[in-house]
Amino acid sequence: MGKNFAGSRNFGYDRLAAGLVIALAMSACNSTEQGHVKEVTGHLPDLSFSLSSDEGQPVTAKTYEGKVLLMYFGFTHCREECPISMARLTRVMHLLGEDADRAHILFVTVDPTRDGPRELRRYLAQFDLEQATGLTGTPDEIGGLAKRYRNAFRPHFPAGGEGGIMHGDAVYIFDTQGRARLLATSGDPEETLAEDLRDLLPS
Amino acid sequence: MEWFYWLVPWEESILVVAATGSAALFFLRGCALVRPSLHRKLCFWGGLSLVYLVSHTQLDYYSEHQFFIHRLQHLALHHLGPFLIVLSRPCPVLLAGMPSRMRQAFHLMAGWKPIQYPAQALCNPVVAVVLFSMLIGFWLLPSIHFTAMIDWRLYRVMNWSMFLSGLIFWGLVLTPGPVFAVKLSPGSRIGMMLAIIPPQIVIGAIIFFTSHELYPIYTICGRAIGGINALADQQIGGIILWIHGAMMSAVGILIVILMELMLAEYPKHGQKVA
Repeated sequence: MGKNFAGSRNFGYDRLAAGLVIALAMSACNSTEQGHVKEVTGHLPDLSFSLSSDEGQPVTAKTYEGKVLLMYFGFTHCREECPISMARLTRVMHLLGEDADRAHILFVTVDPTRDGPRELRRYLAQFDLEQATGLTGTPDEIGGLAKRYRNAFRPHFPAGGEGGIMHGDAVYIFDTQGRARLLATSGDPEETLAEDLRDLLPS
Repeated sequence: MEWFYWLVPWEESILVVAATGSAALFFLRGCALVRPSLHRKLCFWGGLSLVYLVSHTQLDYYSEHQFFIHRLQHLALHHLGPFLIVLSRPCPVLLAGMPSRMRQAFHLMAGWKPIQYPAQALCNPVVAVVLFSMLIGFWLLPSIHFTAMIDWRLYRVMNWSMFLSGLIFWGLVLTPGPVFAVKLSPGSRIGMMLAIIPPQIVIGAIIFFTSHELYPIYTICGRAIGGINALADQQIGGIILWIHGAMMSAVGILIVILMELMLAEYPKHGQKVA
């Protein structure tokens, strides 16, 4: 039906509007930055949370002040994305070399009923990483943090079952003052990520 | 009480509550005075509750995390919601239901030049058509869409702009009388509805036929529904945009033709139609 209407020319506006829209759509295809992790400065809120660390200690964003933070939402029973993402982040930390001491990974569980501090500590121990902490809390606390960063997680309707939890592969990167700066994904090469992280470290 | 939980807003917005709440209150009060027909009431409540439900309940979570649901949300905000609200010809009822001071303020504002000029400009047929189509394209530009989906402020601007431009467009094409002194012939109004079809087909088709992920934000932040991969999600979203645009215009055109036929046949009672 639409095609019949498209053929009629009661107005010249249709061609004008269509032309403008196509031009805009085409220009956008080339506008993504190449060779850099997606910048999100000013679009996502500053880091703020109050959770339990894998040592069982209460921690807040203040605990990690002065470090460049990489926050990732995952869960220890995940068989697909999480191990790959954590392995990638481990390699990024190795690429950072000495600078890695000034960066820290926060692994926030989206399966808080199964992932307590002990499970998180055991899980993170598999990776050759010193600069990583697992964070857990109540479903509402985790839900609040995930919502703050627009990560798909709803505390009231958790998807059950092994590997049944859906989650994104976003790595939220905060500068030393806790401001959200970059949004990395599994598509970003580790070298690029390491390079962009170095730019966030105060010299 | 599981169903009740679905009505809890995913992200509270005072503006949405205030706008829908006052519109509902004024319409209720106005109904007692103006007594609109049942079908006008149904249109108004249907449109208003649709707009409220898609923007201020748990459905909003799905719109944020699934591309095709986001397209359905915009179908409601940009097309169906404003369409139904306009069809109910709510202005006289809302004005009657307002406190008298507010009504006076509205009348004063309507006569005020700094309001009149931009209002007349927005009601220009070319401007209305271009604005309606451009907004769809603008918010679907991959880089703009990415930012709008992570920045809650932009997300709200996006949804409000869609709703308001829908209200202006459908208000112009479905109202037989003059809007802000702009009187359009039925032919021009039908032409306007035809004019918005091609841009929507083109954008919908671009999204449908693109073989790579245009909107990776849904993969990055996670999808709300499992079992639908990124490309399938994108294609369903493209199809919704591709088909519904023509569909809504077709319904609108039929309504305008019907209104004109009724006006020609019963000129005195014609206003009661639609």
